[in-house]
Amino acid sequence: MKPLEGKVALVTGGSRGIGHAISLKLADEGADIIINYFRKRSSAESTIQEIQAKGVKAHAIKANVGEPENVDSMFQEIKDKFGKLDILINNAASGVAREALDLDIRGWDWTMNINARAFLQCAQKSAELMPNGGKMVSISSLGSRLVMPIYTVVGVSKAALEALTRYLAIELAPKGICVNGIAAGAVETEALKFYTADPNLPQLAWKKTPAGRMVLPEDIANLVAFLCEDASEMIRGQIIVIDGGLSLALMGQK
Amino acid sequence: MSVEETIKEIAAKVLHKSDINFSDNVTFKDLGADSLDVVQMLVAIEDKYDIELVDEEMQKITNTREFVEYIERKIAEKG
Repeated sequence: MKPLEGKVALVTGGSRGIGHAISLKLADEGADIIINYFRKRSSAESTIQEIQAKGVKAHAIKANVGEPENVDSMFQEIKDKFGKLDILINNAASGVAREALDLDIRGWDWTMNINARAFLQCAQKSAELMPNGGKMVSISSLGSRLVMPIYTVVGVSKAALEALTRYLAIELAPKGICVNGIAAGAVETEALKFYTADPNLPQLAWKKTPAGRMVLPEDIANLVAFLCEDASEMIRGQIIVIDGGLSLALMGQK
Repeated sequence: MSVEETIKEIAAKVLHKSDINFSDNVTFKDLGADSLDVVQMLVAIEDKYDIELVDEEMQKITNTREFVEYIERKIAEKG
């Protein structure tokens, strides 16, 4: 029997990049997968086919997780179709790439709502569908604690996401729900080019990463899968850094 | 209503403006749209016509006239 057989997992932003890899990995482990997407229906449809080919159920729901009404209807659909949820992967992210002095209130709210507030609302809704416990994993980034050019409000939103992860871990522990987070370094995805000022960042990150290569979406997915298994149940409220050692090598040593 | 008129209506709603003018020398920036306004317009247009706009293709668009033509092309492709 596969470790996650019989479980139902929701992966927000699950059709592309890191979310796509997570969706496929959890399907490999036997879970039925609900992917949430915002704009790319064709990506969602192809991901659904890839998941179904693994012999599990797959369902896609369009929603902007920054809009409370969208989240409400997404969870109503999950309740109607699956009746429960075992795993929540809070992965969807967006953001306005500007330095602090150029940020306006709208850009701040947009980013904070999608990256941080959505996890609060999804966790609240998910907990209602997890009467027998469950797992939640938030996908953060090193920008929550390190400063990177034009990443400002995304970094701040990730710091809020990480703090919320810790609070939820304690507050939901009596319900048998494990909550943890993952902070990734620069991961090789389509999104990378939108959040970096330097187009050469992928190459720079690769050159400086002690592990000798960039972090791939599959690296994140493997860790997510572990955090969704009972083997990891004593890890609570932790933000696990996965960056090939990049953030430790201050002087760029390998 | 033509595609252009529909897009103008969507832009007017997002930008809270009534006098929207599209031409080959007007950009969305000229209309006062920032990146979030553009995302909101794209989502509204995608929903309205049930089409998918491709970021890489849109990066080549330099003005509002080309934008309208691009949307018309995507609608035609859908058939």
